[in-house]
Amino acid sequence: MNFLALVPIVFPMALAGGIHFIEFKNESYRRAYLLGGVFLNFLFAMMVLIVAPPAMHLFKINDFMQISFRIDGMSKLFLTMTSFLWICTTAYSFDYMHHEGKERKFFTYFLVTLGVIVGISLAGNIFTFYIFYEFLTLSTFPLVIHTGTKEALSSGKKYLIYSFSGATLVLLGMILLFSVTGTGALDFIPGGILEGIVIGKRVTAAYVILFLGFSVKAAMVPFHSWLPAAMVAPTPVSSLLHAVAVVKSGIFALIRISFYLFGAEAVKAMHIKGYLSIPIVLTILMGSFVALHQDNLKKRLAYSTISQLGYIMIGIILLNEDALTGALLHLINHAVIKITLFFCVGVIMYRTGYKTIGEIKGIGKKMPITMGCFSIASISLIGLPPTNGFVSKWYLAMGGLQENRAIFVVILLVSALLTAGYLLPIVVAAFFSGEMDRELENKEPPLMMLIPIVLLTGVTVILGLFPNVVLHFVQNIAQTLI
Amino acid sequence: MMVNILFISTLLIPFIGAALGFWIGMKNEKARDIFNVVMTGLVFFIVVLLYPNIRGEGITIEIPDIMGTGLFLRLDAFRYIFVFITALVWFLATMYSTQYLIKYKKRNRYYAFFILTYASTMGIFISDNLLNLFTFFEIMSITSYFLIIHDEDEYTRDAGKTYLTMAIAGGMILLMGLFLLFDYTGSLNIYELSDKVINLGPIKYIIAWLMIIGFGVKAGMVPLHVWLPKAHPAAPAPASAILSGILLKAGVFGIMLTVLVIMDNDLILCNAIFVLGLVNMFWGGFLAIFQRNIKRILAYSSMSQIGYILMGVGLIGMLGQHNNIAIYGTLFHIFNHAIFKVLLFFSAGIIYMVLHELSINYIRGFGRNKYFLKAVFVIGFMAIIGMPGFSGFISKNLLHEALIEAKHIYGGFEMKAAEWIFIISSSFTVAYLMKIFMAVFVEKSEKFWGQFKGQVRKRALFPLMVLSGIIIYTGVRPGYVFALISQTEGMLSGHGHVPQNMYTSEVFANTALIFLLGIGIYYLVVRKWLLLDTEAGPIYKNPTLRWPNLEQHLYKPLSLVFYWGGYHLFKHVDRGLVNFFAGIGAFFRKFGDLKIDLRRFKRKDSLLADYKEKGVAMKKSGIELKDFVTSAGEKTAAAAKVKENYATEIESLGQFFSRTQGHMNSIIYALFIFAIILIGILGYLILKT
Repeated sequence: MNFLALVPIVFPMALAGGIHFIEFKNESYRRAYLLGGVFLNFLFAMMVLIVAPPAMHLFKINDFMQISFRIDGMSKLFLTMTSFLWICTTAYSFDYMHHEGKERKFFTYFLVTLGVIVGISLAGNIFTFYIFYEFLTLSTFPLVIHTGTKEALSSGKKYLIYSFSGATLVLLGMILLFSVTGTGALDFIPGGILEGIVIGKRVTAAYVILFLGFSVKAAMVPFHSWLPAAMVAPTPVSSLLHAVAVVKSGIFALIRISFYLFGAEAVKAMHIKGYLSIPIVLTILMGSFVALHQDNLKKRLAYSTISQLGYIMIGIILLNEDALTGALLHLINHAVIKITLFFCVGVIMYRTGYKTIGEIKGIGKKMPITMGCFSIASISLIGLPPTNGFVSKWYLAMGGLQENRAIFVVILLVSALLTAGYLLPIVVAAFFSGEMDRELENKEPPLMMLIPIVLLTGVTVILGLFPNVVLHFVQNIAQTLI
Repeated sequence: MMVNILFISTLLIPFIGAALGFWIGMKNEKARDIFNVVMTGLVFFIVVLLYPNIRGEGITIEIPDIMGTGLFLRLDAFRYIFVFITALVWFLATMYSTQYLIKYKKRNRYYAFFILTYASTMGIFISDNLLNLFTFFEIMSITSYFLIIHDEDEYTRDAGKTYLTMAIAGGMILLMGLFLLFDYTGSLNIYELSDKVINLGPIKYIIAWLMIIGFGVKAGMVPLHVWLPKAHPAAPAPASAILSGILLKAGVFGIMLTVLVIMDNDLILCNAIFVLGLVNMFWGGFLAIFQRNIKRILAYSSMSQIGYILMGVGLIGMLGQHNNIAIYGTLFHIFNHAIFKVLLFFSAGIIYMVLHELSINYIRGFGRNKYFLKAVFVIGFMAIIGMPGFSGFISKNLLHEALIEAKHIYGGFEMKAAEWIFIISSSFTVAYLMKIFMAVFVEKSEKFWGQFKGQVRKRALFPLMVLSGIIIYTGVRPGYVFALISQTEGMLSGHGHVPQNMYTSEVFANTALIFLLGIGIYYLVVRKWLLLDTEAGPIYKNPTLRWPNLEQHLYKPLSLVFYWGGYHLFKHVDRGLVNFFAGIGAFFRKFGDLKIDLRRFKRKDSLLADYKEKGVAMKKSGIELKDFVTSAGEKTAAAAKVKENYATEIESLGQFFSRTQGHMNSIIYALFIFAIILIGILGYLILKT
């Protein structure tokens, strides 16, 4: 039973091998293969979550290097979210990548990354986590440089430098932490493993170094500039990896180390909340302000992602129940919203080739469903009710107020206003700025692209109107951690 | 149970109807028009049916799990006034829209958002929980944007931008208030709050002000009114009518809840609202006199009338044990304003339908022979200025009486000034409406002699007749409305008696004074100052266009400073790390560009031995070539050799490094720098622990 956890990790990698070697008779066979495979993997993942024991120990190299998996609320949340979004993105990327070219290469690495992400969500100790975390960089690198242009290559280089630098810091942090605890495999246990250990400078240093290391993937200022650069990648990559999977595994890692490795009590005892919140606040404001001035739609969304990730990080670092609830909710909600926004921008690029806000005048009249979904997702990202963005913002703000930090709440609201400032002009340009100066042959995108967009927009509204199922699940997690 | 179903259907029918109407409209526009009229009529009918059930606590519904906290709805007498005018005005406006919009495009979109705005406005007025209220409030903000921007031209886009910016900013401020409120009290149920808030201390004023500002944006409160005179003329007439008649009331409703219910008639807040009301009343009326677009005059007029209502809200708290008169005046004025302002906007719409022009410079004399329109307009005119016998007379004079009551209680110069502001503002009302009336309906113009009669659609006139009827009926027999208002006494904690007979000599004297002043202002300001005689005929000028205004000279510069300042500040944060490393790189490059003369090291530096050897060898070969080759071509080659030779002798440090480490690319370089940082950190840790 212990090896059960490997199924959803290995299966997509095997599928990737299939994509690479099998010659498909025609396009639709490959599509069926991919979609079926990803869906099957979703089922496998669900099966693992239900059937497998909560802790699975695979093998042991030495005290520190052990491969083990665990299933708890966090891994359930992250695994379900990513596996589900993977299905949507796979469906979306068929037509998009057909247009972009080099599909075989794309889908190979796309599937490998799925396996790696499943590994990240199931990892039971920091060593296992670290291995998958490094693999994530490697498997997504070919996707970033997919177009092969000079710009893509230099962005890819930037991505690698940042990611590996972060990973190096993580390694250092792990070593430091291990030097304090001495024995054991640094398992993820709710409440942390530091019981009975004095919180000295070395523990603090380990935490800060780990935090900084993982925050590279979570795009915290000043380690964020790989993210806008990585927008040269095809849109499915930007949407799934650079708005959800990669950046969220950074966030996921921060949650793992803060609450499962060190524990909320220990982190509180370090008294570093104030220092760590400075770069996070900068992240929120910088992302929003710079996004206002981006003409390229994808860059605009990338900076917006940076800002929104700041929301989540502030929810983590506040270390109280409401804030963590808000952070976890926003982890899900932002994923759903941002992927929708990226999909819509991708549709614009797919249909017209337009990339900047100046060009999209009147596009909403040509594709009302797509841009309608974009508008709803925008409203949700601003955080207006009755959409899911509001729910997470509510809890984040409550968390901020519990710590008597009204300033955080003001920052959230200023940032929300700025979010309106950079998203609504797109909506206005699309719908109300006159007619488009060019005729489009097909107006709405093909169904395989449109269905994921509409589905995810539906999720946005439904999670806003009836948040309780997710909310209770998330609150349970938060309660066990704090 | 039946009542509950009826009650919830007032919210659900419009929400579902908006989508259904859109769907029908894609197939058949005529069917959609009929559907919409029937649907809004049905909702109005249900609202009327609910009247017997609103006594006391009213009807309440709780639906758990929606939005996490659940949906709490309540319909009591206080809310019923708002719900009633909403249902009535929307029914008439929908009917009017079907005629008004015939020449317009994008009708289907218009109706979908018109009905959605209806649904959300209903939601605002019946929600019993501030979170629900906020939700509906934000939906209403967004959906009404679609109505304002309907024409999609330069002007409406600009107006829409101002509106949307202010609406969202206001929403955020309101939300901040709600965050704090929930954090301190743990509840957002409106009726529980007043007990909890009372013990909060000074923070409750911060909360209250955040909420007042948030609602005040919607209510067009000075200085948050800048969107109002822009947005109202931009929208199609039925939409302007509901913006002015109902949506402003949503803001007022919020302020009333905040000040009167949640803060429980807090005296400080009530004084502030009282003063703000006076400012609104005066400033709106003052600016209205100068405008030339009928709809803009009416928009400023709405601002002024909201001032009356806000003053009344302030007085409700200030009068304490005698506040019933203020409650009656305020609520009755809310009711009346909705009716007569909608009537006036509809009349303006009729003119626009025919001429597509609303500036009184162009449409002068249009209404001279259109007797029906003239009669309807006169009724609205009489109502708004408070002519005895019309509904406005009663509510205005009740407010005036309340003000006099406050003067008796508090006395002093301020209250006297307040009463004079009231009188002067009322005379402004007379003046600016006379401006419209005289220009459009009295003056003669050859252009419009008897024309266009056929173009005024008969069915569009029906809502005007209904509204006129209501104005006259409530003017003569206000008893029904008073009976409704009397049921709110418990909720607004009303005390004291209300004079039943407004027709006293004192009131008549006041009214006469106001009318005389108003006519005086009309002749002195409008005719003497604003009316210019030009060759093309008399033209009204608008000197306020040159005056500094809040939006152009305060809000826009401020937001530009915010916009660019923030960017320039955070641009450096954005590029910070990259610039840092680029700076290090540039430093090394500069360092590398230092010229070194290798000959100086020839004997000293063993590292350069290689180069020395090479250089010497080359030198030798160069000399040989120079010695033995004589042809011109080969001479230049020799010269090049010498040059190269020289280059090997004197080269820069950078070139030197690039020879030794030619393959060190930037990845390694970056890793190298990271390694240095790591060593630094490790060193620090080892030294510390």
